[in-house]
Amino acid sequence: MNTYQNNCVLKVMGVTKEYNHKNIVEDIDIYLNQGEFVSVLGPSGCGKSTLFNVIAGLLKPEAGKVIVNGTEVTGKTGVVSYMYQKDLLLPWRNVIDNGILPLEIRGIPKKEAREKVKEMLAVFQLEEDGKKYPIQLSGGMKQRVSLLRTTMFSREIMLLDEPFGGLDAITRLKMQEYLLEILKKIKGSVLFITHDIDEAIFLSDRIYIINGSPAHIVEEIAVPVKHASPELMMTSPELRQLRSNILRQL
Amino acid sequence: MRKYQNISDKLIPILFILAILVVWELVVNLAIVARYILPAPTDIVDALIANGSDIIMHTGVTFFEGMTGLLVAVLLSLLMAIVMDQFPIVKKAIYPVLVISQTVPIIVIAPLLAMWFGFGIAPKIFVVVLVCFFPITVNLIEGLQSVDGELINLVRSMGASKGQIFAKIKFPSALPYFFSGLKIAATYSIMGAVIGEWLGGKAGLGVYMLRARHAFALDLVFASILVIVVLSIILFYGIAGIQRALMPWEKLKEEEE
Repeated sequence: MNTYQNNCVLKVMGVTKEYNHKNIVEDIDIYLNQGEFVSVLGPSGCGKSTLFNVIAGLLKPEAGKVIVNGTEVTGKTGVVSYMYQKDLLLPWRNVIDNGILPLEIRGIPKKEAREKVKEMLAVFQLEEDGKKYPIQLSGGMKQRVSLLRTTMFSREIMLLDEPFGGLDAITRLKMQEYLLEILKKIKGSVLFITHDIDEAIFLSDRIYIINGSPAHIVEEIAVPVKHASPELMMTSPELRQLRSNILRQL
Repeated sequence: MRKYQNISDKLIPILFILAILVVWELVVNLAIVARYILPAPTDIVDALIANGSDIIMHTGVTFFEGMTGLLVAVLLSLLMAIVMDQFPIVKKAIYPVLVISQTVPIIVIAPLLAMWFGFGIAPKIFVVVLVCFFPITVNLIEGLQSVDGELINLVRSMGASKGQIFAKIKFPSALPYFFSGLKIAATYSIMGAVIGEWLGGKAGLGVYMLRARHAFALDLVFASILVIVVLSIILFYGIAGIQRALMPWEKLKEEEE
């Protein structure tokens, strides 16, 4: 199932991170191929976000390495892009100016950065909203802007930490389809945190199940049917088997 | 409905103040209270007009002291808040001292300042700085420290430097807090200058009031109070106006609600 076997963009090797002398995550091995969508599925508070903070370079692991495109980047920020459950938009900036934040930090002049963001507005179905402030947007729209900002930083490796966790069920389903549509256009690779089994199955090519204390990878699963419709999710014996299999591990 | 609500919101306080003024006027004019003890509102306005040029001159001095002090306080507060925010140890050391300093009555400090700095303009400005510095600094510090930790992590993950985090995230986030402090400080600034002048000086509304009181010209004392009140209110709304102009998104928030 892995046609991109040689195009590994991100490799996490034996990462252990402790907090107050207690291991939070232990001996984590994860890889992500170019163009792949991989989920890290586990119960809330099990250490998934800690793992992401290590990958993003915000935390230094006690053991293990993070390798991006063959170069070790352990503890280095500014390599992968990161999106949170909270939209974290700046209320004093309109949609375009929120989008340019990562470019500005990289030192690109504002004018040039704005042009780049404007080009992307249509892709994100935000053409009409460039001048709006976050306060004028709904929860789903805010996450669209947040996703836009994330991709402006880097499309190559995107860490999405329960990006739709704060949305209502209906908006959430819409946003999942929206995300897949965007990814088709921009061809990014995504590492996705979720505690929602259906969300993981629907979106992912592969799923890592993480559980236990300290948290470790319990199983790695390839999803047999990509982007299954809700009906298929209910009826396909293969997927039902997969779900019960996952549920047993959590 | 909203519109009527807005109108009545504004109308009720105005009507109430008018009612007080009418009662006050009647109480004096019906000789329930003697005029030399409490001048009527119309007497105060008359006195204000008759002594206009004097009062304008003294107001100018007080206004200058107040604004200079406020400006110095703003600059000091910015500096202090930035240092306290960047170096937690400085905050730990200084913050309690700041709070303690506020418990010392300013009316006791002011005469000492006159002893140290004479009766010129400097001790007045000093009093203004003392009363304005605290509300601005405390609000600004609170604003800088209340920024969402995840937001800071997000920009850190983008590789932002400390300076970029401050300029692009922390400072703009703290602006509403800064303006809350500034609005309070602005209303204090005129009062601070008047207190400074009250304890000795050559010019200013405080000096003028003192002289008027010694001459039992209560209408002039009240006229001065009126000027102080109006000046403070203008400053308050002036700063609120600057805030709205600088932060259009805050206005959107009110409209949303």
